[in-house]
Amino acid sequence: MIAYLTAILTLVGVRALLTLGLNVQWGLTGLVNLGAIAFFAVGAYTSALLAVGGVSLLLAWPAGVALAAGAGAALAIVALRLREDYLAIVTLGFAEVLRLFLLNEAWLTRGANGVTAIPRPLHAWFPSQYHLFYLILVLAALGLVYAALERVRRSPFGRVLRAIREDEVVAAVAGKPVFRFKVQAFALGAGVAGLAGVLFAHYLAYVEPNMFLPQESLYVWLALILGGSGNNRGALLGSLVLLGLLEGSRFAKDVIPFLTGVRLAAAQQILVGVVLVVMMIRRPEGLLPETPGSK
Amino acid sequence: MPPIAQYVFNGIVTGGILALPTVAFSLLWRLLRFPNFAVSTYLTVGAYAALALNAGARAPLEAAWLGALLATGGVALAVDRIAFRPMRDRRPFSLAIASIGVAFVLENVVRFVWGNDFRAYDVPVTRAASVAGLRIGHEQLLILGVTVALMALAQAFLLHTRLGVAMRATADNPLLSAVKGVPTNHVIAVATFGGGALAGGAGVFLGLDASIDPLMGGGIIISVFAAAILGGIGSAPGAFAGALIVGIVEETGTLIVPPTYKTAIGFVIILAVLLVRPSGLAGSRS
Repeated sequence: MIAYLTAILTLVGVRALLTLGLNVQWGLTGLVNLGAIAFFAVGAYTSALLAVGGVSLLLAWPAGVALAAGAGAALAIVALRLREDYLAIVTLGFAEVLRLFLLNEAWLTRGANGVTAIPRPLHAWFPSQYHLFYLILVLAALGLVYAALERVRRSPFGRVLRAIREDEVVAAVAGKPVFRFKVQAFALGAGVAGLAGVLFAHYLAYVEPNMFLPQESLYVWLALILGGSGNNRGALLGSLVLLGLLEGSRFAKDVIPFLTGVRLAAAQQILVGVVLVVMMIRRPEGLLPETPGSK
Repeated sequence: MPPIAQYVFNGIVTGGILALPTVAFSLLWRLLRFPNFAVSTYLTVGAYAALALNAGARAPLEAAWLGALLATGGVALAVDRIAFRPMRDRRPFSLAIASIGVAFVLENVVRFVWGNDFRAYDVPVTRAASVAGLRIGHEQLLILGVTVALMALAQAFLLHTRLGVAMRATADNPLLSAVKGVPTNHVIAVATFGGGALAGGAGVFLGLDASIDPLMGGGIIISVFAAAILGGIGSAPGAFAGALIVGIVEETGTLIVPPTYKTAIGFVIILAVLLVRPSGLAGSRS
């Protein structure tokens, strides 16, 4: 039971980081990212492949974060020059193409077999309680990122992002270089997602392309909308509630006998979709609304 | 190995199938001001509606196709009433996100009922005709013929009927056209039903041309998007041309890159259009 809880909480922490990343993009700046999971995958694969190749984790981890942020910046620059709605399809397409790439370019990514035996940090130091150590590591990273993003949100930079979200014409008239701010915000969010991916890969010690299916991006959206987009506490709460929803519905098969494997998975995903749409209609501010005057 | 012309012909058929959801997607985007990602899932809905009528209720495929048209139009209308209408005044991207949620629900309802297996319609197997070295299937010709007829109908409707003109007026300036007495909600309902029906009909064609599975519609969203951007958002003839180009490039592209990367070709087209000619081939006013 303790082992189960430790594992679950570690994954909640990773998900919460991913949600915080999307919150910078959508919650603060109003930028749509339909491929949140792709930046997570870039972080996970970059760090995993470097580490397996013998590169020190002190280099591999920052490289994962940097490449995720770089990919975010590049996509934002291409898509945002014109119409903002194009960012939606460019990120969605990127996620799909990246998954195809991970599956098919086995010379680099090891294809469908995935990357195995990814080194775990300081594994020799904590032989017995390693999972507990890793949970603390993830929570520490989450705490640091949360504190940093809270600072960002209250800073002049964060205020500009929110101004862009509310009315970018006004922000532009006030002399803010809107395009540059958007690209920076998108890259920052992608970098946070990359960090989540790095922590994920070195926790499981194994990654494969089907961990990064499109529906995973939708789960991140659900966590953000549930918790309340625009504020970082909401992103944390949403990740926790989402996990309750996903884990809870797994136990549904014990209660409802006629639900077979495929049907159970389908029912779970119907639930996720319905909750997302209903939340967006009925309570778009989420469980924890962004407080209007918060600085 | 078949000649390149065979790939081009197959591409034209693929493009014809793509044209229907692309027109729906492009016109609804212009009218409602958000990219509706559920449109590609309407293909799945149509394909399975026809499957229920054809393989389930033993209706001939022609009747099942008409039934799929009506059923998918109805589903699109219901989705609009339940999910999109209450959010009309929200940020357009909120609607785009909601449409992803809707697509996800529809896809999984299909999976819940029919499972993940690949299926096919109950139609007699016909031998493909051989014309000038090309293999041309009976179904491929039928698909092309019906698609061209539907595209012509849609364009005639937009240009020459009162409702079509009202639709274009609302797309151009919703406030002004509402002030001038255009019944906005009625126009939106007709466009939604029509768009859903076109996509549903295309789903049956896709099921005939390839196979039927829950991911079939979601799998073409990038191609539809590429075709819509290529044609210029809101232009029906542009969408048709864009879809044909995307279909041909995707099919002939498999000569150069492995077929598993077909989706990537659509993505590259999108990036190329965004970088080189952002207003689309025809150039739209927005």
